[in-house]
Amino acid sequence: MVFGAIVVIVVAALGLRLFQLQIAMGGHYTELAQQQSVDSLAVPVSRGLIYDRKGRQLVENVPVFVVNVRPADLPFDTRDAVVARLAHLLKMAPADLYGAIDAHADSRFDLVKVATDVPTATAQIIAEEHLQLPGVYVDVEARRHYIYGELLGHILGWTGSISGPDYLSLKSDGYVLDDTIGKTGVEATFEKQLRGTYGVQQVQRDATGRVVRVLSTLTEPQPGDSLQLTIDVNVQRTAQQALQWAMNVVGLLRGVFIVMNPQTGEILAMVSLPNYNDNDFSGGISTKEYKQLLNAKARPLLNFAINEQFPPGSTYKLVTGAGALQDNKLQPNERLHTAAYISIGAYKYWDWNKAGFGNITIFDGFAHSSDTFFYQVAGRLGIDRLAYWAHQWGFGQLTGVDLPGEVSGTIPTNAWKEQTLGQPIYPGEVYQAGIGQGYDEVTPMQLIDAYNALANGGTLLRPQIVRRVLAPDGSVVQDFKPQVVRQLPISQSNLSVMRVAARNVLVSRHTYNFVDEPIVVAGKSGTAEFGLRDSQGRLPFHSWFVGFTPKDPWKHATDPNGWNAVKRTDAQLSFLAFAFDSNTTGNAATEIVKYFIQLYYHLHVDLRERYLLVQNNFYGN
Amino acid sequence: MGVLRLHPARVAAFTPKAVNNVWAVFDAQLAVYALALTVIGLLMAFTNSGDTPLALGSLFTRGLLWLALGIIAFTVAAAVDYHWLRTFSWAVYGLNMAILLGTLAIGSGIGGVSRWVSIFGLQFQFSEVAKILMAVVLANWIVSRQARMNTFWTVIGAGVIAAPPLVLVLIQPDLGTSLCIGAIVLGAPFVSGASLRWIITAVVSVLVLLPTIWTHVLKDYQKQRLLSFLDPAADPQGSGYQLLQAQIAVGSGGALGKGLTQGTTGQQYLPVQATDFVFATLGEELGFLGGCVVLLLFGLLIWRVLVIGWRSRDPFGLAFAGGIAAMLLFQLLVNVGMVLGVMPITGIPLPFVTYGGASLVSVALGLGILESIAMRQGRPGT
Repeated sequence: MVFGAIVVIVVAALGLRLFQLQIAMGGHYTELAQQQSVDSLAVPVSRGLIYDRKGRQLVENVPVFVVNVRPADLPFDTRDAVVARLAHLLKMAPADLYGAIDAHADSRFDLVKVATDVPTATAQIIAEEHLQLPGVYVDVEARRHYIYGELLGHILGWTGSISGPDYLSLKSDGYVLDDTIGKTGVEATFEKQLRGTYGVQQVQRDATGRVVRVLSTLTEPQPGDSLQLTIDVNVQRTAQQALQWAMNVVGLLRGVFIVMNPQTGEILAMVSLPNYNDNDFSGGISTKEYKQLLNAKARPLLNFAINEQFPPGSTYKLVTGAGALQDNKLQPNERLHTAAYISIGAYKYWDWNKAGFGNITIFDGFAHSSDTFFYQVAGRLGIDRLAYWAHQWGFGQLTGVDLPGEVSGTIPTNAWKEQTLGQPIYPGEVYQAGIGQGYDEVTPMQLIDAYNALANGGTLLRPQIVRRVLAPDGSVVQDFKPQVVRQLPISQSNLSVMRVAARNVLVSRHTYNFVDEPIVVAGKSGTAEFGLRDSQGRLPFHSWFVGFTPKDPWKHATDPNGWNAVKRTDAQLSFLAFAFDSNTTGNAATEIVKYFIQLYYHLHVDLRERYLLVQNNFYGN
Repeated sequence: MGVLRLHPARVAAFTPKAVNNVWAVFDAQLAVYALALTVIGLLMAFTNSGDTPLALGSLFTRGLLWLALGIIAFTVAAAVDYHWLRTFSWAVYGLNMAILLGTLAIGSGIGGVSRWVSIFGLQFQFSEVAKILMAVVLANWIVSRQARMNTFWTVIGAGVIAAPPLVLVLIQPDLGTSLCIGAIVLGAPFVSGASLRWIITAVVSVLVLLPTIWTHVLKDYQKQRLLSFLDPAADPQGSGYQLLQAQIAVGSGGALGKGLTQGTTGQQYLPVQATDFVFATLGEELGFLGGCVVLLLFGLLIWRVLVIGWRSRDPFGLAFAGGIAAMLLFQLLVNVGMVLGVMPITGIPLPFVTYGGASLVSVALGLGILESIAMRQGRPGT
């Protein structure tokens, strides 16, 4: 019977414990059970690489040491000591380290990245001291290294930690809390292709948030695609060399040089100086350094080829001239009288040479860049017709180049001025608009793209920075064909007139000895006033040169001046130089292009005119 | 208690006619309680069979097969006069040693242990049968000690007889089954009226030896399991993790449970929800009500086992019933106690409810022998 009693006692005791768990404390355990959840976890993949048009690798993924902390594994009683030691090793302030650890509060079991790009020696010490540093983990992550540094700074851009708002909006696309994302350049615009697809695993978390086990793989990880740019690193280097030379001689704050293929819209080089090094960012930049770059006077973080707009000056006379020809407001052989100035009421609108050029056709008007000639032509067109033609050439709208932060420029119309300033356009402002001054503002990219259309026979193309998207195995995922924005409604003969006029800019020696180069160049220089007058009433100015060479660029005895060469529409190289606030005797941009031509074609002549690069605020051409 | 009589068995004493007659006094209670528990076990196999419980090879369908084998084992054991077991007692002991040695030689298991023997694709854990065979051998030993029940040697002898198979089970290693055999070794003499003083003395001496066993006999994972009971937080994803999850599962079941197959904790977070921790799933899905039914059925069954022993005029019947009752009670206490967080994690199955063919067939065999005992007390000699 004793045994019988034991049976009763055991069964009763177990029943009591069952009562305690299920009835007395049931609510508590129900709550715990509900906190357990099935969750998905990201499996990162390697980011796609970037190559230039000749297959040169421009970026690599470099393994770097990072230090992660799992807050839940930090023992409460030794937390301060661990943080102090880790802060010392990482050369951080303990308060900053605490801030980093507490910044992400999703789950105390999630790893928090507190330091990246940790030196190998430091990583080794932390790994060796793991017993003294519970909850601290050294891991290896891939970091972007931009092989060419500053040379491609604006084009490639950089990747950095995803921001809070970005994370919230991209969470559904598989981004994770401490993810990296392309911030600028093609790293940003081609983020989707470069990133690939992170794998997604379905995992189980228990009530404490810890991953218990992997249930299934929802998405197979897919490494990112690679990009082949239209950029040729050698051309880029040549362009930078030419631009940097003039900027050093003159002491310029900013400059832009773009090289394109007018037949395809491909950008072969795009330099905006000063530039910056993407590697400074991919390794995580300090707030102080970032602010320095952000607030530097020259604003090196901006790509002035597309992120800023400037008055185009005389380069814009292409729009005025071609529009008037097409609208039959001007005949190719029609001579207009160009005096020193044109008066409207009390106002005088001066030609740049303060004298005029006599009776001249558009060939000479464009070549000598006669302002009074184009005042008259602009007057014949009127502001709205002028704006119409500007829009046809792609001004006042985004070019659509695959880079972030492009601005659209400003092309004034009556409606625009009524809207923004509450006034109509005055007749004098029509004159200003006709020579690329006043309210006219364009980006260097818009300007070279318009001259591309002139060179290729009237096809406005979307500028392209990426040539191909390549799968990890090297196969072509996407091949970017030339994208036509529109066919200009301008006759081939009128376009030919403007090309010959552009060649005459050089032949007439308006650009001095540039015509002596053995290469046939057609183009237009420009000087664009901006800002405020100095004590002597002079305005600072930018200088421009934009032009192209025929497919066979060399001069031939049969066509010594290249007239026939520029009548063709086979040009395969166009270029633009922009010298910000140059104020030089001559046109600094023209000297830059001249030097570029010499370098690009390996010419043995050096026709650079250094005396033209003296700053004296001479209102030139 | 019944009058103690000694009947040396003779082969000629039993005729087919006698066999036919005994079914008239079939102990229905024993069979009904056991069957009810087995049905609950099948329900658990059903709920743990995943999405296709009716597919061939699922826990549920295999459970049905084992149930059939169990009924056969029970019926055959009940039909055979248990006196034969006494006649062939030493042969049974030899068989016991043989299967345990065989298991060690060809058995396989998870994580470097050899507990399982595969027969026609079905995993069979022979140490489960060893428990029943041990109960037979021990009961026979106690019968032979009838005149000197109160002596020290009755207890020591039981220990000595049990030691070789116990060691073989321990080195498999299977701590749980070893402990079960220990329970039988204690239970059989205790119920039979052996000296309590000597039983206690024996237990105390074993406890004194424990430190030596701890350092030299127990494997690391076994120590780990026992330790995690003392401090569940020390190993959150190991044994302690299971313990916490088991309590979450049971606790979230509430009074009436979440319903069959509706449990989430047991199904998803418990790594061994169909075997050792099946009571957690049961508690979560069938609630306090279901848990109480299981405990009550176990109480009634064990009580019935004891009643059969007490009614037995044969000291073998009492001793065997004592061994089986002790085994069932021990397994109930340790398994359910473990799930409820009041006993260490030892890997002892809950008879009938835990999925496992060997356990079910062995228990059916033991109960069949008990049934045979129950049916053969009214007409001695016929």
